[in-house]
Amino acid sequence: MTRDELQEKILTILVQDFEFKNPKPDDNLRDDHGFDSIDAIELLSKIEAIFGFSLTRDEKEKAMEIRTINDILDYLDTIRQGRGNSVTPAS
Amino acid sequence: MKRRVVITSCSAITPIGYGKQAITDSLLHGKSGVKPLRDDGLLTDRIHSRVFGTVDYPIAYDFTRSQRKTMGPVAYYACQVAKDVLSASGLSAEFISSGRLGVAFGSTHGSPTVQRDIYRTFFQKMEEGFSSIGAVDYLRSMVHTTAVNITRMFGITGRVIASSTACTTSSQAIGFGYEMIKFGMQDAMICGGADEYDTTTVAVFDNLLACSVAYNDRPELTPRPFDRKRDGLVVGEGGGAVLLEEYEAAKKRGAPILAEVIGFSCNNNGGDLILPNLDGITATLRLALADAGISADEVDSISAHATATKMGDIIESQAIEAVYGDKPYVTGLKSYTGHTMGTCGVIELIMNLYMMEAGFIAPTLNLEEVDPRCGNLRHTPEVLEMKIGIAAVQNFAFGGVNTCLLVKNCRGDLC
Repeated sequence: MTRDELQEKILTILVQDFEFKNPKPDDNLRDDHGFDSIDAIELLSKIEAIFGFSLTRDEKEKAMEIRTINDILDYLDTIRQGRGNSVTPAS
Repeated sequence: MKRRVVITSCSAITPIGYGKQAITDSLLHGKSGVKPLRDDGLLTDRIHSRVFGTVDYPIAYDFTRSQRKTMGPVAYYACQVAKDVLSASGLSAEFISSGRLGVAFGSTHGSPTVQRDIYRTFFQKMEEGFSSIGAVDYLRSMVHTTAVNITRMFGITGRVIASSTACTTSSQAIGFGYEMIKFGMQDAMICGGADEYDTTTVAVFDNLLACSVAYNDRPELTPRPFDRKRDGLVVGEGGGAVLLEEYEAAKKRGAPILAEVIGFSCNNNGGDLILPNLDGITATLRLALADAGISADEVDSISAHATATKMGDIIESQAIEAVYGDKPYVTGLKSYTGHTMGTCGVIELIMNLYMMEAGFIAPTLNLEEVDPRCGNLRHTPEVLEMKIGIAAVQNFAFGGVNTCLLVKNCRGDLC
């Protein structure tokens, strides 16, 4: 899955499940969309469902530094690279 | 410090309707809210009782995603009635978040629907190698979910009491809210309770042989409080809220005063957790009168707990007779709604407020032939046009908890 495809998937989740309106890659999640720590945990569980594996405690703590949608994609790139880039999202 | 406490706003979602008009009409026309038990794909086939006091009409909720994310079904009921009460109150935003407004609200056990989802997820995902329990599942299911979703939604910063004593949950909430204001700790309290559609509660009472089973094909004929042919309670769902305010402040701001809470009692039987206890219940009724500083003959009507269980109705009848004789009219309002569990106290109080306003006492539905063991009371077999001055609302719970609220009609020059 390319970064663009992943971005599309994340944007769909943010619109459908988190009711974001017109999200853009550089939007600040909290300031522009009211995204809070509870939402972050909820998003991580959706990411786990996408990839079909559990994130480690360290990986989850790193996610707390995410501020924008682009940050989410960077974060996912890091996760995938850390696991040998062999992770294929579940359908 | 002892201050007077009045009710200035109320709202209820019940099996016989949502809001004053629908509920009053149902009480006047003998409309039952008991329906066939819905299939939950889990327990229904194992339950003998196939009836439920059901909220089967659509409710137009208007909660944002940010508000919804911490709410299970029980909190939807709670927040909706709290929203109604606050909208009608005219209280300022400054007062609502001043710390002088608190919340006393509860449910029997949070949200069993969400708890069930957690376990379903747990067992289904065990083979998949990762957990997907939602981050907010605890917030949606915890026992104080109703109270704190209300504080969160409206920015309320005062005290929080989250009572959870089964059938006395909301009557305790109202009583404790009344005491908060009476003794000066808060100036206003949103009080009440909610319980969602849940078959586990039915299964529990069914297992104890306490649920009605003889009218599965004619749900509207059960429960039958005080009737010779009663055969048990019917579990129900719903939510209700009242706004309590300190009397002088309410009067000063011109709030409509629906009734005054003049007395409250709460005690425990101090022993068995299931069986009704004559001494404990009788003491509760007397303690409420003492708290109000009134005599028994000043009470016009009694809204009995009256679940229609075999022993519960007899013991309650004996307690009423011992304290009141046969002077006040007695009605069992669960005959309309079923037993709405944690929310029954507030729903029955609100029904009494509506009856006070409209000037009638609703009869006990399905009371066709009074059980002689419940016979020494002044039952209400048909709609009675009557100005209610003071009403008692009685509720008793598993765990041996008993409550009684005494409310005085404050309409016109009565206050």
